[in-house]
Parts: sequence; structure tokens; C-alpha cells
Amino acid sequence: MLFLSGRFFLFWPVTALGYHLVPRRWKAGWLLAASWFFYLCAGAAYFPVLLFVVLSSYAAGRLLERRPRRGLLALAVLLPAGLLFVLKYLTFALELAAAGLAALGLTVSSPALKLLLPAGLSFYVFQAVGYVIDVYRGDQRAQRSFLRHALFLSFFPQLLSGPIARSAQLRPQLESPPSVTWDSLRGGAFRFLWGAFKKLVIADRLALLVNTVFAAPANFGRLQVIGAAVAFSLQIYCDFSAYSDMALGSAQTMGFTLTENFRQPYFSKSIQEFWRRWHISLSSWFRDYLYIPLGGSRRGRVRKYVNLLVVFAVSGLWHGAALTFLVWGLLNGGYQVLGALTAPARMRLRQAVGLREDGRLTALLQMGCTFLLSTLAWVFFQASSLSLAGQVFARMVQGPLWVYASAGVDRWDFLAAAGALALLLAVDWAEQTQPLSQRWLKARGPVRWASALALLLATAVFGCYGPGYDAQSFIYFQF
Amino acid sequence: MKTKRPVLGHICSAVGFVLLALLLLLGAGALLRPPQETYGSTWRAYRAEPRNSIDVLYLGSSCAYCDIDPVEIYRHSGLTGYVMGGSEQTMSLTYWYLRQCLETQTPQAVVFEATGVFFQRYQSFTQPNIAYMPFTLNRLGAICTAAEPELRPGLLLDLWFYHDRWKELSPPLLGPSDYKGYTPVEGTAEEIRPDPTSRQLSQEQYQENLSWLLRSLELCRERGILAVVAVNPTYYRCDPEQYRRLGEDLSHAAPDVVFLNWSAAFADLGLEPEVHLYDKAHLNREGAAVFAKGLSDFLTGALDLVPMEQTAPNRTAWDALLTQRSAS
Repeated sequence: MLFLSGRFFLFWPVTALGYHLVPRRWKAGWLLAASWFFYLCAGAAYFPVLLFVVLSSYAAGRLLERRPRRGLLALAVLLPAGLLFVLKYLTFALELAAAGLAALGLTVSSPALKLLLPAGLSFYVFQAVGYVIDVYRGDQRAQRSFLRHALFLSFFPQLLSGPIARSAQLRPQLESPPSVTWDSLRGGAFRFLWGAFKKLVIADRLALLVNTVFAAPANFGRLQVIGAAVAFSLQIYCDFSAYSDMALGSAQTMGFTLTENFRQPYFSKSIQEFWRRWHISLSSWFRDYLYIPLGGSRRGRVRKYVNLLVVFAVSGLWHGAALTFLVWGLLNGGYQVLGALTAPARMRLRQAVGLREDGRLTALLQMGCTFLLSTLAWVFFQASSLSLAGQVFARMVQGPLWVYASAGVDRWDFLAAAGALALLLAVDWAEQTQPLSQRWLKARGPVRWASALALLLATAVFGCYGPGYDAQSFIYFQF
Repeated sequence: MKTKRPVLGHICSAVGFVLLALLLLLGAGALLRPPQETYGSTWRAYRAEPRNSIDVLYLGSSCAYCDIDPVEIYRHSGLTGYVMGGSEQTMSLTYWYLRQCLETQTPQAVVFEATGVFFQRYQSFTQPNIAYMPFTLNRLGAICTAAEPELRPGLLLDLWFYHDRWKELSPPLLGPSDYKGYTPVEGTAEEIRPDPTSRQLSQEQYQENLSWLLRSLELCRERGILAVVAVNPTYYRCDPEQYRRLGEDLSHAAPDVVFLNWSAAFADLGLEPEVHLYDKAHLNREGAAVFAKGLSDFLTGALDLVPMEQTAPNRTAWDALLTQRSAS
């Protein structure tokens, strides 16, 4: 069941209304039933996998609380992680092994496995692993109520694509389910609507250009290929942050506050800062459960850089079982290592040319550089293979400036996307001081009504949906 | 944050917002929907007709809107009329069309062009056939019973189908149509022969279609409207046994209804297939004019229909159409 589907628009109000109406002691049960129904709609075959992760992490949490042994923790982590490896990475690993053996002159054909990849697996496995580590460390008590633990991992707004919840943040809300208030209801609905606008009007319109150009970069000119790469940077931001807005908005209508996943990442002045503002729930998960246990920055500079590269390599692979994702992750890690190594030199350069450290121009240049670097990295993320990524880069610097061929969008699409992006820029700028839905709730009645109706109308008219469109599902669903 | 507002106020506010949003979305859908002035489902023009000014209503598929020319019928009989057909209009849809048509008109007779009795449950043009209906309970009925399930969301909200037309907006056409729902087609078909096995359908489907036709006939009976079920002259024919059975079923279930099987009556109606057929199924403009004479004779002769009193402006408008046709 997609957020932007007719079935969800029936499911969501019924679930929210039911949650509001049922007695307090039944609220968690109601939400769990709804969440499991939601997941069953995504694919009945996926459900046993979710149930296994819920049961194993529940049992592990209870056991670890009594006996916080390393062996038990390893088992508790390896069970869901092993399941994730088998279902998501086994085929890729076998292909890599076959390719490695072939390089040594041994011909081994990798078996063609057709394994089920349950929707949202990477997200709820990470959430479960985070929970058992928290219990092992004594940061959290084990959840005694199976129902609440199951809901912690299955809560429908975050089930398919996060945010990856942390026990400390979500658990108190599950222990004492929040009430639906008028403000939470309309604020959440408005946030959902803003997410729908970003997804349908911007992300899916830019996808028309991106998919056309990335399918055959050799057919387009340099400017078109560069434009498509830039468009993908914007598309993936609008796509994933739209999903997060819809997830947080739908949870908010029931009074729940989920982890914020984005904080205007393209206003970052370095790649390091970018990763503190992009997919925050995943970045912080890696920080707390991988980077710090590896030693973080406590064991010297070299070890810190190695740790960074390891974390970003794993992060790349988390996004997908392909070399392109691995390169994308390593590139992002490499940027940070390089950024740290060149920091003194860059500071000297700024001083030499008279740029103030806290000046606006400096900030703009840094933002521009960060955007450029992330855009180059995103090429690997979007390309279906390393060779295609190579073709894209080659076409950025070689060949004609412009080729007269349809790039999937006409001038009207371009204008609509440009207008919507200008609105996004303004909103993101304003959100640096106050979240959009809070700002909207504080506005006067007529302003609230007019802005909500205008946003709804703009989404309905300028959105990419309906017959004739190859509807893009959310990019992060595949992870 | 405000928390003291009474719950009732919140509910009213939410309902008001949803209603306003729906109104906006429906309005935008109506604005973005491409105009439909020919090829059936010409609801805008139909609703622009003066109330209770139509003598005969013609319902059916493209065989109705290509073969039946109300202006030519008016020339021969003085009877005003309108063809409210739709491409491959199924009998279930015909029923909802009839109900909607009777909201603004009280015709003396309704002629049901019968091809739809031999259609499948869903044909190819459900979307345009329903999308132009006014948003009433009849449209909802048509969406629920005559539309493919996958089309239903879009038919409930036009924007689903037409939102992307903001790139090609054109000003809406206003006023009644000069054609009264008729669509002239020009030219003649080459080398055509009667095709008697063209429409095969299951027994269950035939019974379902027949039941919708009988519901339509019952509605006419309730309203005191004469009903005629007609098969137009065509080379795209059903098996003669199918027509015979339809006639028999109608004579049992609705004995007061007139059934006309004109499928092979070209010569009787003064039609020459080589000259007057546009393709196997439809008459061309000249054919429709010739057919209008035969249909007029039937309406005023066998049915004994007499043109109703019209307002002076409406009579003048119809006469002007005749003059215009003669001039062209």
C-alpha cells in the first residue's frame, strides 16, 4: 500500500479515527492491527519475515536484560542481520565471488537465486538491531509487552522507508499513547500534503528527465547530462524527504512524533554537515552502532579515516546490493577524509582571497561545492552500473553542448518544476528557523485555508500521476 | 496552540475544508476536461437545450450518433430531438444516460438504438462516456455499475484523467450544439459485405444487457414515454437469431414496446449501402439524411407523434439550423 494510493486514503483516516475513538488501553493494539494490515497489503509473503524479526528481537531484548553477554548480543544481531544478508546480499555476494574466481582463472557460475526481498526489511532490521544493542548497553530496558515491541518495529508510517526509530524516542509514546489533538491532526495532514507536493510535482517530474537521460546519456549533449545529474540530486531529495514528510505527517495526525529525517541538507557547507542533515535517522544509527564501536575518532587520525570509509562503505551497501552503491558510499566517505585533510589549506586559501570564515559569500560557495560534490556522487547512485556512470561522466565533458532530442520533459514541465523548486527553496529557507507545519498552524485562519487549498490544487493539477504516467514509486522503497 | 475550540467547531471546519477542496478539485477537473462536441456524450450541449423542448430522445452507441440526425428528422417531421449516445455505449450506461436526460427533458418518445444489447459488459470508451456526465447520482450510478473498477477513481475525480491538460488549456465552448448530438461522418466504405457473426457474447452477458434495457423501458413506462428499440441499417450485424430472440424477449417482457429490426432494411428505407455506408457499422452524412426520412415517417406515422409546442426562440433556432443546413 503506497502512501499516495486510493487504498491508503481510506486506510489512513479509518486508522486515525479508530485510534482516536478506542479506549486508551486498546490504542496500541489497534495500531498494531492496522500496521500489520498495512504490511500485509504490501505483500503477504513479507509478513513472516517481519514477524521473525519482531520475535527474535523481543526475545533477545528480554534475555540480554537478564544476561548482557557478548555472545548473546552477537547472536541477537546476527539473526536479523543474517536474514538481511541472505535476502538482500547473497546473490550479489555470489556474483562477486564468481567474478573473483573468474579473475583467478576458475570458472564458476553463480546460481540464479530468486529470493524474496520484503519491503522495508533494511529499515526494520536496523531498528531491531539498534534496540537490542541499546538493551545490551543498558541504555534501554527490555520491552516487556510483546504488543508494544511489535508496534515499535511495525508502526505503519515508518515501516516501509523509515525514519529508523530509536527506542528512546518512540518507546515513551508507545507506553503512553499520545492523544489526537486538533492541531496534531491538521498539522500532520498539512505536512503530508506538502510531502505529496514534493513527490508528485517535483520528484516525479524531474524523474522524467533523469530517467530519459540516464537511459542513454550518449544521445544527449553535455548540458543535458549535467542538467540530468543536477535534477537527480533534487529528485532524490524531494522523493525521500517527501516520503519522510508523509510518514511524519501521518504519524502526527495520531499525535505521534517520529524522528526528523531531513534538515535542509542542501544548505550544508560541507559533506560532513550534509550527512548530519540527510537521512538523519540512518546517519545517526551508523554513528551510534558502527562508527563509535569501531573507535570513532578516539584512536588516532588514520583510524578515524578508516572508520569513516568503513561506515560509508557499509552505508552504501545498505542502500543496495551493487557496486555502484558501494562506490557512492566510499566516495562520500572519501569526501570527508579529503575534507578533513585539506581543511587547513582551504582556510589559508580563504584568508588569502579575503573571504571571511562566517561570511555569506563563503557560505554560498561552500554550499555550492557541497551540492556539486554530492551531485557527482549521486551519479553512481542513479546509474545502473559503473560503466553507465562512467558514460555519464564522460558525456559531461565530451561531445556536443546540446543535442536536439526529447529529454522526457517539455518547456511546460520545466516551468512547473522550476516554480515548484523555487517554492521548495523558500520553504526550506524558512524551515531553518521553524518547521513548516508549526509555521502554518500559527498563521491566521484565511491564510491557513488558502495555503492548504492552493497546495492541494497545485498538487492535483501539476502533479505527475494518473494514466499516461509511469508512476515512480519512492526511490527508497527498494532499500 | 489552540486547544479550547469546541469539537463541533473542529468537525464543521474539517467538513467545510473538505467540501471546499472537493469543489475546487471538481471545478479544476471541469476546466481541464477537453471539450466534447461530437462523437457522443455531448452533455454540455444537451444541458444547454431549453428545458422540456425535445420531442424524441435517441440513445445508443455510435450507431445512434452517426446514423440519427435530429435536424433532418425535424425537417421531415417537425419533431425536435437529441441524440445522447456514447461510443460503444453499453446498456447499463444507456440506463444512466436515460435517467440523467430525463432530469431536464420530458420527451414523448425514446428511441433506443439496440447495438448495446450485444456489447460486452465493458467496452472501450467508458472514460469519455462517463467523464462528461454531470456530477449527479446518475453519474455515480454509472461509475459504480457501468465502469471498469480501475477507471472508477478517475471517473469520480476528473483531474485524475485530465490534470495534465493545464499545458493546453483552451476557452470552453458555450451554447447549444448545431448538431443536437449527431456526428456527421463523410465518405463511403469500399468493398464491404454484411458481417453476420460480428457480435458474439455469452448468454449471461446478453441477459445482463437485456435486464438493463428492460430497466430503461420500465423507466419510460413509469414516465409515460413511448419506447422504441431499434436496430439501425448496418452491415455489422448480429446473427439473425440474436435479433429474433431480442424481439421475442421484448415482446414477452415489455409488450408495449416497439421493436424495429432495420438491420437489413436498406432498400425499404431508400438507402444504398455502397453510397450511404461510411463503414460497415455507420451511415455517412447522406445516409443519415436518407435514414432520417424513414425514421420521421415511422415516428409521425406508426407512433403518431405530433411536435410539441415550442417557444418562439427555440422554434426559430431549429428553423435557423434547417436554413443553415440547406445553405451548406
